[in-house]
Amino acid sequence: MLYLSQVLGRPIRDLEGERVATVRDVIVRLGEDDHPPVTGLVARFGRREFFLSRWRITELNEQGARLNSDKLNLRPFVRRDGEVLLARDVLDKQLIDVDGKRVVRVNDVQLIEAAGELRVTGADVSLQGLYRRLAPGGFFGTRKPVEVLDWADVGYLATDAATVQLKSSSGKLARLHPVEIARLAEALSYQHGFEVVQSLDDETAAETLEEMPAERQARILGNMNEERAADILEWMSPDEAADVLGDLPEEKAEELLGLMEDEEQADVAELLPYEDDTAGGLMTTEFVTLPHQLTVGEALARLREMAETPNMIYYLYVVEAESSWKLVGVIALRSLILADPAMPLAEVMRTEFQRAHPDEAAGEVAQRIAEYNLLALPVMDESGDILGIITVDDAMEILLPKDWRQRLPRLFA
Amino acid sequence: MAESRADVLATGRRLLRRRGRGLKPGGGLRGRLLAYLAILGPGMIAASAGNDAGGIATFAAVGAEQSYRLLWILIPITISLGLVQEMCARMGAVTGKGLADLIRERFGVRWTAFIMLALLIANAGVTVSEFVGIAAATELFGVPRFVSVPLSAIAIWWLVVKSSYQRVERVFLLMSLVFLGYIVSAFLAKPDWSAVAVSLVKPSFSFEYAYLFTLVAVVGTTISPYMQVYIQSSVVEKGVTLEDYGRTRKDVWVGTTLAILVVFFIVVSTAATLNKHGIHIESAADAARALEPFAGPYAEKLFAIGLFGASMLAAGVLPLATAYSISEALGFEKGVSRSFREAPIFLGVFTFLITVGAAIAVIPGLPLIRVLLVTQVINGLLLPIILFAILKLVNDRELMGARVNGRVYNLGAWFTAITVTLISLLFILVTLFPRLFK
Repeated sequence: MLYLSQVLGRPIRDLEGERVATVRDVIVRLGEDDHPPVTGLVARFGRREFFLSRWRITELNEQGARLNSDKLNLRPFVRRDGEVLLARDVLDKQLIDVDGKRVVRVNDVQLIEAAGELRVTGADVSLQGLYRRLAPGGFFGTRKPVEVLDWADVGYLATDAATVQLKSSSGKLARLHPVEIARLAEALSYQHGFEVVQSLDDETAAETLEEMPAERQARILGNMNEERAADILEWMSPDEAADVLGDLPEEKAEELLGLMEDEEQADVAELLPYEDDTAGGLMTTEFVTLPHQLTVGEALARLREMAETPNMIYYLYVVEAESSWKLVGVIALRSLILADPAMPLAEVMRTEFQRAHPDEAAGEVAQRIAEYNLLALPVMDESGDILGIITVDDAMEILLPKDWRQRLPRLFA
Repeated sequence: MAESRADVLATGRRLLRRRGRGLKPGGGLRGRLLAYLAILGPGMIAASAGNDAGGIATFAAVGAEQSYRLLWILIPITISLGLVQEMCARMGAVTGKGLADLIRERFGVRWTAFIMLALLIANAGVTVSEFVGIAAATELFGVPRFVSVPLSAIAIWWLVVKSSYQRVERVFLLMSLVFLGYIVSAFLAKPDWSAVAVSLVKPSFSFEYAYLFTLVAVVGTTISPYMQVYIQSSVVEKGVTLEDYGRTRKDVWVGTTLAILVVFFIVVSTAATLNKHGIHIESAADAARALEPFAGPYAEKLFAIGLFGASMLAAGVLPLATAYSISEALGFEKGVSRSFREAPIFLGVFTFLITVGAAIAVIPGLPLIRVLLVTQVINGLLLPIILFAILKLVNDRELMGARVNGRVYNLGAWFTAITVTLISLLFILVTLFPRLFK
């Protein structure tokens, strides 16, 4: 087992043991491998830096490197695609640890030889690693164990050297909950956070963006390729998408809206008329309606047959007739499941229920949701038609104090 | 489908345009004003740079001891401070990372440890000065320091870690606005404006220990290392990008000019009131007397309020900012909502700074003004380290792309760094070998 700090600056010796150059950097090929292989060294001789392929090196350890031939190609080192330099591009940079769900800094890099090949196996993120870098001679010691993060758990490497595809693994990142991905992306600098979102698939990207503050969502989507941004907007729930579009500069917002598919575009457009701070601005149009002529059994069957079920199915909204929006009652999923399948919905539903008008203040509606312990509240217009619902998570965002996420106190916030 | 796609799109476009024209609450002019204020931060932070205990003590001492003789330094220092702050703000906007982060990523662990150590010492000094300020302020109200200092230390610690510091921040900020009273005082004290004008442009220099001491203190308190780290973090946190950077840059220069303007009036008012009557600044009460033309018999109380507010504000922000920088640079867990087990170094540094600050400020019989000046001198001596780090980073083409320093800009920036270093070295020489220039 070898650490990068133990190798850097060490001599490179020829067949006779004479020192010919110094180890300047270690080149690694990023790609599909969980543990990227070392492809060579950058050697420094005088002022020149040249490339040493790993085939020319017999051994590499704390004493340095040994060449296996007398021929040296002194052509200056030039970076190739997919290659990354450990000291320059990886050491001291941040990365996302998917296993620990945190952003850490690389204090050292661990290399292990397996099957004749030297590979990067992990990143040392511990205090030990820090001490080792401060004084390689082992001057500082600590009894704390070394904490090495398995390179296979790296979801994203926050470096400027490689392409987004190489330094991020969307598969690994997608293992995390969107809330976690959002938090990690926000812990990195804006550019790196943007790349993290970019590397995700559309659906995960949409879910992740929804967990970020609106201005940040707008900036990220605004900087993306328009087609992709529109695709992601389609995956987002319409009320979130409407909020983001409202935060973007007009032309951009119009362009993105125009690129969206019919159905999602219509859903979002429906929500645009409402002001931010009202019930209308808070509501979503994703909810389930059932005509009140159905029986419980037919209702459940319909739920199962739905092509796309919205997130909020815990309350079902009973309307007058098949294509009507006139709300006559609300049923909790719990009641539906427990009731006799032959019963008509009209007998199970509640006709007395809390509701809101789209122009009501968002804060008041949110309070009501909390008071009545509701999961959602329907928003209805004057004629009794249901326009949308406000879910408890959106209500919570309004009710929770703004500074629940603590950071550096600002002098003039 | 009731509406065709084209209809939906047209409606959508119309509605977006309506939103864009600010028909939502807080839109229109008010909305734009709020947006401006949100980005306004970094410059105003710069403007408050001179308003803490160390600053007030330094500039009051300058006026009282040297009269108008040091006024000439204000113009060069405005330029220097503006340059340094702008470089840090620019780095924050271009890279999106804080200064400590950049140092770690470009210079590696050893240099980071060294620079963070320098920062820790400088900031420890400034923290001490803030608690000394609290001691001085409360003693003007008759509360002894061994009561007020520990209480404030505990209060600050508790507010930051357990509660919401933001709420009290604004109160302290308002209190510190008292120092604007120096502006009025300066006019009311009827100084000899022609002498002032001459001193503003005529440089005078001396190899005397007292002069160099004051000079280093002035540099250290205006171009304080922590302010540069803070301004870059502030820019990063506000999410300023290259597009809106122009506004931030204007704002940094405006803030700098305002700050030095206030300094100017502090020096003039103390020179016109204290120096004229041969009064030396030995205690906070002396510094308060310079407010007498403005506030009459209330001068002392008013000064105490301002000093208390400014010191409490900085005493909370500074240890926290230092803890953040160090934790960020060295990769330790951070966050005020963490427990000691989760983020030992972060909370440890924070607690350590507050404890040291309070412990030193409580020492009975401590010459408060002297201590305040010494802490600013420490700032000034350690400043070159930070300056060279900033210069190296801001000229790194890989990091800053096209936004590296221009040639003229670099001239000014390097000149500042070298001059500051020379002054510091000169001061150390004269301290060690007092007979050198006699």
